[in-house]
Amino acid sequence: MNIIVCVKQVLDPEIPPAKFKIDPETKQVIPPPGVPPVISVYDERAVEAACRLKDKLKGKITVISVGSDKAADVIKHAISMGADEGFVLCDPAFENLDSFGTAYVLSKAIQKIGAYDLVLCGRQAADWGAGQVGSILAEILAIPVITLACDIEGVDTNVRVKRIVSDGYEIVEAPLPSLVTVSSEIGLPRLPAGVRLMMARKKVIPVWKAQDIGAEASQLDKGNAHTEITGLSVPTRKIECEIITGATPGEAAANLASKLANLI
Amino acid sequence: MSPVSATYWGIPGYVIFWVLFVIAAGLFAKRIYFLFRLMRLGKQENRFDHMGQRIKNVLFVILPQWCTLRSVTKKDLAGIGHALLFWGFSCFLVSYIVFIGLAEGFGLYPWLMGNNFETVFSSILDIAGLCVMAAMIWAAIRRYIVRPERLELSVEAGVIMVLVFSLMVLHFGIEGFGLAGSGETTNWPPIGSVIANYLSSTGISKNTLITVSQGAWWLHYLVILGFTVYIPRSKHLHILASGANILFKPLASKVVLEPIPLEALEAMESEGSVDLGASKIQDFTWKDLLDLYACTVCGRCHVSCPAHVSGKTLSPKEVIHDLKEHLLEEGPGLLAGNAQATSESPAKTMIGDVIAEEDIWACTTCGACQEVCPVDIEHVRKIIKMRQNLVLAQNKMPESAQLMLRNMQTRGNPWAGAQSLRLRGDWTHDMGLKILGQYEGRVDTLFWVGCTGALIDRNVEATLSLTRVLKAAGVDFGVLGEAEPCCGDPARRAGYEFQFQISAEENIETFKNYNIKKIITSCPHCYNTLKNEYPRYGGDFFEVVHYTELLADLITRGKLKLTNKLNTLLTYHDPCYLSRYNEVFREPRQIIEGIPNAKFKEMERSKNTTFCCGGGGGHMWIEEQHGTTKINHVRMDEVIGTGAETVVTSCPYCLQMLEEGIEQKGVKDSLKAKDLAELVEEAMNQS
Ligand code: SF4
Ligand code: SF4
Repeated sequence: MNIIVCVKQVLDPEIPPAKFKIDPETKQVIPPPGVPPVISVYDERAVEAACRLKDKLKGKITVISVGSDKAADVIKHAISMGADEGFVLCDPAFENLDSFGTAYVLSKAIQKIGAYDLVLCGRQAADWGAGQVGSILAEILAIPVITLACDIEGVDTNVRVKRIVSDGYEIVEAPLPSLVTVSSEIGLPRLPAGVRLMMARKKVIPVWKAQDIGAEASQLDKGNAHTEITGLSVPTRKIECEIITGATPGEAAANLASKLANLI
Repeated sequence: MSPVSATYWGIPGYVIFWVLFVIAAGLFAKRIYFLFRLMRLGKQENRFDHMGQRIKNVLFVILPQWCTLRSVTKKDLAGIGHALLFWGFSCFLVSYIVFIGLAEGFGLYPWLMGNNFETVFSSILDIAGLCVMAAMIWAAIRRYIVRPERLELSVEAGVIMVLVFSLMVLHFGIEGFGLAGSGETTNWPPIGSVIANYLSSTGISKNTLITVSQGAWWLHYLVILGFTVYIPRSKHLHILASGANILFKPLASKVVLEPIPLEALEAMESEGSVDLGASKIQDFTWKDLLDLYACTVCGRCHVSCPAHVSGKTLSPKEVIHDLKEHLLEEGPGLLAGNAQATSESPAKTMIGDVIAEEDIWACTTCGACQEVCPVDIEHVRKIIKMRQNLVLAQNKMPESAQLMLRNMQTRGNPWAGAQSLRLRGDWTHDMGLKILGQYEGRVDTLFWVGCTGALIDRNVEATLSLTRVLKAAGVDFGVLGEAEPCCGDPARRAGYEFQFQISAEENIETFKNYNIKKIITSCPHCYNTLKNEYPRYGGDFFEVVHYTELLADLITRGKLKLTNKLNTLLTYHDPCYLSRYNEVFREPRQIIEGIPNAKFKEMERSKNTTFCCGGGGGHMWIEEQHGTTKINHVRMDEVIGTGAETVVTSCPYCLQMLEEGIEQKGVKDSLKAKDLAELVEEAMNQS
């Protein structure tokens, strides 16, 4: 069982909102100092899903990430959870790619890695939240895709996935190899423990450039991008606080209920 | 005539004496050897360093009975009783060797008995016997009539009390009847002679008197032998084990946690069975197992434990007792060599069946149990080792613990998200500080702020106060600002040992790079970790001081003057990791006493026997279980009891827990919590 997991390194979503800054010129987020970037939460769940499969079926987990040289940290994090190896895809040509460009780079890396049974991605990245890369990647690789998995129930010649729909879930099967995007409902990722944590730290993560994976410059040309950022701003949030009172707790609850009823 | 030289039913007394002795000694040795082999099931640990000092510890602690006398309080005088019993019984022990062993057993009585030596020794024994009897009566009253919470009713205690008491009665009987039978009139030994004079006056025949005396002698010989056989089979094993336990107690710091060697890990990983920490009784070290033998079930730890006092199910006494029972149960199987079978499908799992997971997580690692334990049992590290197994091998922990550990692992600090609206370096803005890495010159003193002091609004206020005080006193120091990570303490106490190991190694590297010679800490947890735990990882080239030590010193040297009058009644809450773990409790009081007009009221549980705020051992983040109350509420009642207007402390966790307590107890208007640095700033001449 060979599993490839695509992960992304993002700005820590736990950063207090007031600390975000945006450069209006370049339309980019300026990260506050002293806050290390982290693995995107959904991608971490994808790694968890892969590890659970490996626990059951044995096999190998390879992790790849398009990003800066710092992305080695998220690969190491995945290795400390249970992945076997990983590669950082880092090249000036990969900077600021849209979902199509990113999927293209990932597809080239996956082709270089070779045989695989399953590709796992997070349902979307915790920073941009576009939720596109998984589906486009499957399209390029010409394999089936199942999105929004809350459980991967079984893998034999097919993969059987429980996926979230608006009013519950459905169970979908697809032949291997397939791509599955994982949602947070799959459950908390494990805490990296024991020897893996120490060994992952010492590991040197290979970096692949455009030429290493045979990515063509024409495909990475920003002029060919399918999306364009026209503006970027920090949303302003206003919080109004009102304390609902009442002579008794019961009365306070009734006041609260009528207040809520009026709001809807 | 000596009882042993007589003949009984045609059998020489000597033969009876030695046969009985050999049986008893055999039973005793058999049990001791068994216990010794059980202890050897534990892992290796070196406790044989500094033997000279260790022996000195034993002599200075046990002979003067400091072990039990140190816990004597107005409410609990039992230590005095134990001391009387110990000294008294020790005299008897010597007498058994001299008068039974040498005199009777080896026939040396012509030299040892019937002379001044015997008279003097017997007189001492008479006094000792009275002390022992008094102690026994007192103990019986305490156990069966006014029983304090810490004591439990046990058959074993009753058996021992009866045996010891009867030995004393027999001693007086042998002496009295023997003296009367010999026909001598004497005033010595004091009690024996009184009894003898009375018996002589009753006109009982000499032969009868001698027969009774000899009968009593044999009975008392039997009781002594019975005692020898019984001791290693009962909780009174402590009589034998506690000496050894005190001999091998930790010397450098109070809670010794062994690093987990990486090679061992790699071997486990390649075998595919990762078993870290302690999941089975034999995962503890031999010293941990010796601890179990040493427990006297005195219950001192039980009534000092904040988890127990606030109604959780954890009791350190039960932990030790249950582990001992478990060792005795599993041991024979393990010794018989079917270790495999027993460990893979044990009748009972140690974590779960013997010690509940809930109890393992309820401990705040406050160390109160260890501090009061008369025989120096190390409870805390056993609990942490079981946590290690839960976290590292089983991935089982409360969700709140997991959240904190994940934050430590990915973000390098335990506070994240909604818990803190600050970034690490925020507090340094506009303070004009020397930030290492940015500052061009050299500083060799580092002010290590700690996560809580840097990230949580209330604690940042205290950090800023301390910074201003240090600057006003002319202390030259640098800070790491945004580059300061966690020291690793919360991870280690929660059992996430490797994260701690990584933090320690990285931080020591940083100190090395900046050539740090001295570190000032504001958090007692950082203080303990940097000072006592980093040396094991190569961090032994810098001095670590807590700010209270530094400020006390600055005041003594006149660099800091407290001149503003503060007309207020203060009390001081000692942080466990400062006062208990590191015995820093004089300095804070010295500072408070130097504040003009401030009045000070001590809480009953203070200094090294302080009571936990509830925030240690990772409990700042781990959700407190339901008990009858919360730990900080118990403490808050004690604070309120002093009538103080301000409760001062010197730990960021304590400050938070106290403030929460004040809030929840609804005493905000009459009571404030302050960090000692804030108090010093108020009292400082700020011209
Ligand atoms: S360290 Fe404190 S909380 Fe833990 S068992 Fe001992 S007394 Fe109880
Ligand atoms: S562990 Fe120590 S304090 Fe607790 S019951 Fe045993 S001897 Fe007493």
